[in-house]
Amino acid sequence: MVVAASPRRKRVDDGVVTVGRSKAGTVVANAIGVIFSVLMLFPVYWVLNTAFKPADEVLALTPTFWPEHPTFANFTSAFKAPLFLQDMLNGLIVTVLAVAGALVVGFLAALAIARFSFYGRKAIILVVLAVQLVPFLALLIPLFLMLQTASLTNSLIGVSITYLVLILPYTVWTLRGFISGIPRELDEAALIDGCTRAQVFWRIILPLTGPGLVATSVYGFIQAWNEFIIINTLNSPAKQNLMAWLLQNQTTRGTAWGPLMAGAIITSIPVVVFFLLIQRNIATGLTAGAVKG
Amino acid sequence: MSVVESPTTRRPGGSTPHRAPGRAARPRRRRQGASTPWLLVIPTLLLLAGLLGYPLIRMIVLSFQNMRLRELLSGRTPAWVGLDNYTKVLTDSVFWTVVGRTVLFTIVCVLISVFIGLGIALLMRRVARGVRLFMIVAMMFVWALPQLVAAQIFRWITDSDFGVLNYVLNFLPGVNFDNHSWFVNPWQGWGVITTLVVWAGIPFLAITLNAGLTQVPKELVEAATVDGATPWQVLRNITLPILKPLITIVTTLSVIWDFGLFTQNWALRDGHPEPQFQTLATYSYTQAFGQSRYSIGSAISVITVLLMLGVMAFYIRQMFKIGEVD
Repeated sequence: MVVAASPRRKRVDDGVVTVGRSKAGTVVANAIGVIFSVLMLFPVYWVLNTAFKPADEVLALTPTFWPEHPTFANFTSAFKAPLFLQDMLNGLIVTVLAVAGALVVGFLAALAIARFSFYGRKAIILVVLAVQLVPFLALLIPLFLMLQTASLTNSLIGVSITYLVLILPYTVWTLRGFISGIPRELDEAALIDGCTRAQVFWRIILPLTGPGLVATSVYGFIQAWNEFIIINTLNSPAKQNLMAWLLQNQTTRGTAWGPLMAGAIITSIPVVVFFLLIQRNIATGLTAGAVKG
Repeated sequence: MSVVESPTTRRPGGSTPHRAPGRAARPRRRRQGASTPWLLVIPTLLLLAGLLGYPLIRMIVLSFQNMRLRELLSGRTPAWVGLDNYTKVLTDSVFWTVVGRTVLFTIVCVLISVFIGLGIALLMRRVARGVRLFMIVAMMFVWALPQLVAAQIFRWITDSDFGVLNYVLNFLPGVNFDNHSWFVNPWQGWGVITTLVVWAGIPFLAITLNAGLTQVPKELVEAATVDGATPWQVLRNITLPILKPLITIVTTLSVIWDFGLFTQNWALRDGHPEPQFQTLATYSYTQAFGQSRYSIGSAISVITVLLMLGVMAFYIRQMFKIGEVD
């Protein structure tokens, strides 16, 4: 999938039709494009603007469009807020466990689907696809009761396993795409040259799937990091993540907008950075193949 | 599921002997490790069965029982009540109001977002390269923002006392938005929620559809233009037909996502949505975890999944049809 993405990008510029286009139309189009982008970015700009304002400017009746006295006070008070660091650490633990688990388990399944033909393969594909559409929230009630019985509520392990299953279908599905992208001829050449199946895996498939593993784990990271409903339902405040912290913060202490926006920025940074790194692969997992080039 | 399985799965095994000569080397090895693929998928299947399959069955069973806080604390098996929960839910006018609201929201939201998304995708083909880059960067930032963070930002922008929205609207002649609360009137509140969902959804739609548009053959469009087709005719007779499978897929996905709306109305209403801001997802959640009516909540969830089943089946069929699944 990644392999196909780079040449396609070049065509974005090459494929533009220029015949029969008026200059005035282009100017209008450019203007609309710029206005659209500014409108889209406004909320992002506003959260940054708020986070760097001192408290009195945040709650000014006439909001200023630039912090007159820029300050990091909101960020320090977010870091000093109760449970912020604790929840940040929890979020990291849960996310890393879930992503690592899903990657190992999912890679094996993806390998089977992409490289073997066996009875039941289509059924497994169907399950993996269908499961992605099941609203996980609908399952929260039985899941809560199940984990309660197993004494896994209010524990990071319970949430980690839940997140693992949450990102597993996507992981299998995406990795399957990456593995299918490796020419079978490579496997066959290696087999003919005397490699065992295990050697083919370690020396060919695993190294060549490297970028795919990175992209998939980053996407898994984003999903697990952004989740808050499950962890908020299963665990007490001391065992939640930063997203749930953002939610708690608003209800229990009134809204301190400055620190909340600073906290929101801190929480978003890893996700935004990771997202921008792998953005090209995200949509393709869901829609690739819908348009054949 | 087994209905679909039987005709399709037989093919790979059955066709093995007729494989092209180039692949003839493989069956020998495959016979050796016929169980290998199953060993590889077993961990995944076990996890899915344990944490998705079992809860799904448990949810259905729960919806026929009466599980409340007492049963939860004592650990006693809840009493079997048959269809009581379903009767209760289905005869409750509040439930039907929530269903109607969720459906209406989904239709409005999907229509607006797909329409704007397609418009933006077409616009991206028309603008200068620098402007297109600016549009992509802007949309990427919006797309990357976590849903909850986006909702919190909108809550701040629409704050009645210090929100920038009221401040800006006050510049319009003849209106006064001082201390205007956007969530007193449900239509205005849903306007904010819809804006948030559309705003957050446009990047995926526009960027995906734009990628699809790059696959429309340039020669076809130019030939039509030279032959005197108007831009509208080109759009209707060339671009949209080629783009149709992709539009179908992204629309289906949008329906599934918007129908399950939870985060946005949940966060904008401080985690306690008033009755007029409930959707099926929050309603089921509130029944279960707010009022400890786990069985009623489960029944609502079952109905929600049943309502979505058609759309989900359509999505999967579409994925098989376009050959992404081989």
